Amino acid sequence: MDHQPPVLSMRKICKSFAGIQVLKEVDLDLYAGEAHCLVGENGAGKSTLIKIISGAYQPDSGSITYQGQLLKNVSPHWAREHGINTIYQEIDLIPTLSAAENISLGIEPIKKNGSIDWPALRERATKILEGWGAEINVDVPVNTLKVAYQQMVAIAKALSLNNRVLILDEPTAVFTSSEIDLLFSILQKLKSQGIALLYISHHLDEIFRIGDRVTVLRDGTLIRTGAVDEFNKSSLVKAMVGRDIDFSLRNGDHCQGEELLRAEGVTRHGVVEDASFSLHCGEIVGVAGLVGAGRTEMARLLVGADRPDRGKLYLRGQPVEVGSPKEALLKGIGMLPENRKEEGLVLMRSMSENIAYSLVEKDARFGLVPWRKIKKAVQDMIQAVDIRPARPALQVLYMSGGNQQKVVLSRLLLAECDLMILDEPTRGVDVGARLEIYKIMQALKKQGKAILMISSDLPEILTQADRILVMAKGRIAGELTAAEATEEKVLSIALRLGEAV
Amino acid sequence: MQNILQRYRSTSFDTQSVLKILMILVGLVLLASAFSQGVFLQPKNLVNLIYQNALLIVIALGQMLVIITGGIDLSVGSMLAISSVLVVLFQDYGLPASIAIALIASVAFGLVNGFLVTYVRLPAFVVTLATMQIISSIAKVLSGGGAIYTGLHGAEIPVGLGEFYKNTLAGIPYPLFVCLIVIGLAALYLRSSIGHYTFSIGGNERAAYLSGIPTRLVKMAVYVISAALCCLGGVLFVARVGMGDPQTGTWIPLDSIAAVSIGGASLSGGTGTILGTLIGVVILSVLNNIMNLLGVPPTLQPAIKGIVILLAVYLNSARKQN
Amino acid sequence: MRAKIYPSQVVGFAEQNSALVALVIVCLLGALFVSNFASGMNLSAILFQYAIIGFLGLGQLLVILTGGIDLSQGAQVAMISIITAVLMRQAGVLPAVLGSLLVGTVFGLTNGLLVSRTRMPAFVVTLGTMGVARGLAQVISDSKPIAIEVGSFVDFGRSTLAGIPVSAILWVVVSLGLWFFLAQRRTGRHIYAVGGSEESARLSGIAVKNVKLLVFGLSGLLSAVGGIIWTARLSSGSPLGGNGYEMESIAAVIVGGGYMLGGIGTVSGTVVGVLLFGVINSILNLVGISPYWQGTIKGILILAAVALSQFRRIDHGSQARRS
Repeated sequence: MDHQPPVLSMRKICKSFAGIQVLKEVDLDLYAGEAHCLVGENGAGKSTLIKIISGAYQPDSGSITYQGQLLKNVSPHWAREHGINTIYQEIDLIPTLSAAENISLGIEPIKKNGSIDWPALRERATKILEGWGAEINVDVPVNTLKVAYQQMVAIAKALSLNNRVLILDEPTAVFTSSEIDLLFSILQKLKSQGIALLYISHHLDEIFRIGDRVTVLRDGTLIRTGAVDEFNKSSLVKAMVGRDIDFSLRNGDHCQGEELLRAEGVTRHGVVEDASFSLHCGEIVGVAGLVGAGRTEMARLLVGADRPDRGKLYLRGQPVEVGSPKEALLKGIGMLPENRKEEGLVLMRSMSENIAYSLVEKDARFGLVPWRKIKKAVQDMIQAVDIRPARPALQVLYMSGGNQQKVVLSRLLLAECDLMILDEPTRGVDVGARLEIYKIMQALKKQGKAILMISSDLPEILTQADRILVMAKGRIAGELTAAEATEEKVLSIALRLGEAV
Repeated sequence: MQNILQRYRSTSFDTQSVLKILMILVGLVLLASAFSQGVFLQPKNLVNLIYQNALLIVIALGQMLVIITGGIDLSVGSMLAISSVLVVLFQDYGLPASIAIALIASVAFGLVNGFLVTYVRLPAFVVTLATMQIISSIAKVLSGGGAIYTGLHGAEIPVGLGEFYKNTLAGIPYPLFVCLIVIGLAALYLRSSIGHYTFSIGGNERAAYLSGIPTRLVKMAVYVISAALCCLGGVLFVARVGMGDPQTGTWIPLDSIAAVSIGGASLSGGTGTILGTLIGVVILSVLNNIMNLLGVPPTLQPAIKGIVILLAVYLNSARKQN
Repeated sequence: MRAKIYPSQVVGFAEQNSALVALVIVCLLGALFVSNFASGMNLSAILFQYAIIGFLGLGQLLVILTGGIDLSQGAQVAMISIITAVLMRQAGVLPAVLGSLLVGTVFGLTNGLLVSRTRMPAFVVTLGTMGVARGLAQVISDSKPIAIEVGSFVDFGRSTLAGIPVSAILWVVVSLGLWFFLAQRRTGRHIYAVGGSEESARLSGIAVKNVKLLVFGLSGLLSAVGGIIWTARLSSGSPLGGNGYEMESIAAVIVGGGYMLGGIGTVSGTVVGVLLFGVINSILNLVGISPYWQGTIKGILILAAVALSQFRRIDHGSQARRS
């Protein structure tokens, strides 16, 4: 920015994991007072790079200079002590401890006799949080707070030291737009205090909003570094993927078929209130809403993972009760869970085993499984969906996010579900795989399937969905067709019943 | 050499682990032969090996199923003991009846284990540690504290049962026969749909549930199967030593877990092979043999087994999910 | 509207302090229906016996708070008793006590090393070392008990202060010290942190490996104390001792409000848990139930108590889930 030397300078950083090179001679300069955005597809190496800066990983080769000094063997503890703080996507707080304790974790103020100085501890926390205008109870365990509040406590924790460098790894994943505004105003303040910000995000608008400079990584290699002004959305994406992306992958025509599923007054106390809607064959229905609106909870009710307290479901006009995910699958309703690693995949088993669940159930006679027949079906699916690498025996653990998502999708496809509920289908998925997933969705729509797509990515919903249900505070607050929907309309419906957090 | 390595790497991870311990086994066998100056590999010794381990093989296979689901069954020793007591105790009603009673009791215990692990969601080692002691106490109550040789009203154990270990069917000794049947059933289990479910539950229970697998039923089932196999072990025990002993089986939990671990299964679940478990049993046996040949005092052997388990688990622990 | 409903207030208090309520109820029942229960001699007998479990419980609490478990405690009691007896014969009381404490600590640190530096789960490690400890106890003693004739040591096992066993007083003092440590000192809070979320604690710069090493080392030390007291009570070292003690210590911690996966648990709760089991044990004895039935009943009670505590925990856990 000025002509001062960078606060942090990385040269020729290399890192490999299990023989796979994740970073190849990456350079990065961070200047005081700038917001430096780091972009790239998944697997580009962004997370690894920041973990090296924060001391969680050690580079295989290359040098890091911090405030003029060459760093060796940085530990997370050392990094934190010297002003390099990282805020991860996973909220790294201790759920059973209070916000006050979390914010000062590891550096609790102590009295002369060595015991913890509780009033000082509390004050440190309240000073920061109140300065933000966020009314957060610092004395209760943080796992009793709302998720967005938890994230703010995590940020407060990172900010409570002498920061020189603050790294944020997709912090806004679970934020409402007012919370994002709050965050950005805080970041602006930090910039003016001379703190260097390193900001990773998949949301390009945020980059153009807050960023000063941007570094693009692709496959572990540095592609370009420059001022944000030098880019626009499409040139940025092009640098990330190395090809031209057609942003106007607008949804195909809407051909609504017969009614497949109808929900009337479905309620689960505290999370979903009186949900009534219908889904038809051959359409994609998007579900938008703020975090906490109850979208995933409603999906779980439809698929039998939870039981509703009240309400009725009709499948093709007939009343139906879904008691378990197994029953749902038998009736043709399948779900791609929000959190694929924890709920969608058995990471240590192979790709083909993960895909074959539904077939195992359907084709088994007296418990015996016709493995050879299943293998063929699985292989055909892997080809059709273009999963890479196309090795059926590979443990899913080693695959990229996008391909893992395709594995779960393949399972649903083999199960021949008529209704597919996709919860955040492109979260954590790189741009290339994202487009492939959209193509699959479109193809399914043409085949007459019904897709219920829950997404926090408004542009995604606006381009892919035929109709949009907007949820707020557990209710379906509004419904829009693709033609009439805009980001502002969706957001205003989502906010009308829900207050700003 | 390159080709061999390549082919090795492209096989599934289960196969890789079996190959690894097969090599260890070969090494140990060579060692044992050397120490015993060739006596070890004589057919008589090998047949003895089967006799001594039929019990452990049967129980270890049950333990393997439980471990694949990510659980563990520490109560196997006590279930063995109480089954032996029940079989002898109810001899007055005939052998089939007494075995039936023992089986019903074992299944009941297995259901308790399964229920507490599955529905109350207590950690398996806590549950089975507690049931181990409860069952052991009950066994002592039933037998009056020590071993019993006759039924409640004085009925003796049928001679046929005692001869069990000495007889053969078409050249195959009965105990081996029983083992082969159990191995066959286990193989069938693992290749069936419920086997697939078992692996999946061990790998990631939540994902398995959301994929439509009846996780709770399968989890209950493995504990019941383990208990049933312990009952079978109890019958084998009575056949071999002619008594019901409430204090037997102290080392069975450790031995069965060791065999399964050495065989390549991860204690966090999701992996495991029958062949691996069998090799694990054999390796344990060979180790015992070697220790005896080296003159290691019998009281120290459990300690050494403890160390062996730690080693085996350590080498296998790299494959946890995430 | 101010809720004046008295019963619900009682229920709320009871939920949070169910162990204490259970203890009170069982004591009342004992005092009312079991002869000799409320006598000074009986109460002090309970304390004599359960001070040992008390020490084990404190050590177990520390380990469980970090999300681990120590299954080797019972075996340690046996091993330490043998070592104490042997050392006392060779070298006298002080070397025996110091030596045993040292051995116990080293044993615990070994557990801690294995748990913190390898990826083996704690229950496997301590299951293995449990076997090793028992084996060692049997090898050193040749499977025979070793009598102790040193008068002062034996007296310590029986001495009381104002009617309360000295070992129990020692236990209370150590409990208070531990309570202070866990509530007011950094390292104590870090123990809770490691149990609450190990990864977050690590990222916050807490030396997780060292914390785990510490709690297992302390558990080893406290188990050694328990072992020494046990030996004094019995006036002999026995390789068969401590059977099932780890089960009771685990149960005491859980019943006292602890959470198996770590991060939640208190010294006061553990103390109440230990006393609860001591009282139940005493009642079973006084009523004249045979030892084998006692084992069964105690086992079932332990299982039920742990199951109930964790059952409620699941509810609380799901309430606090993300919106």
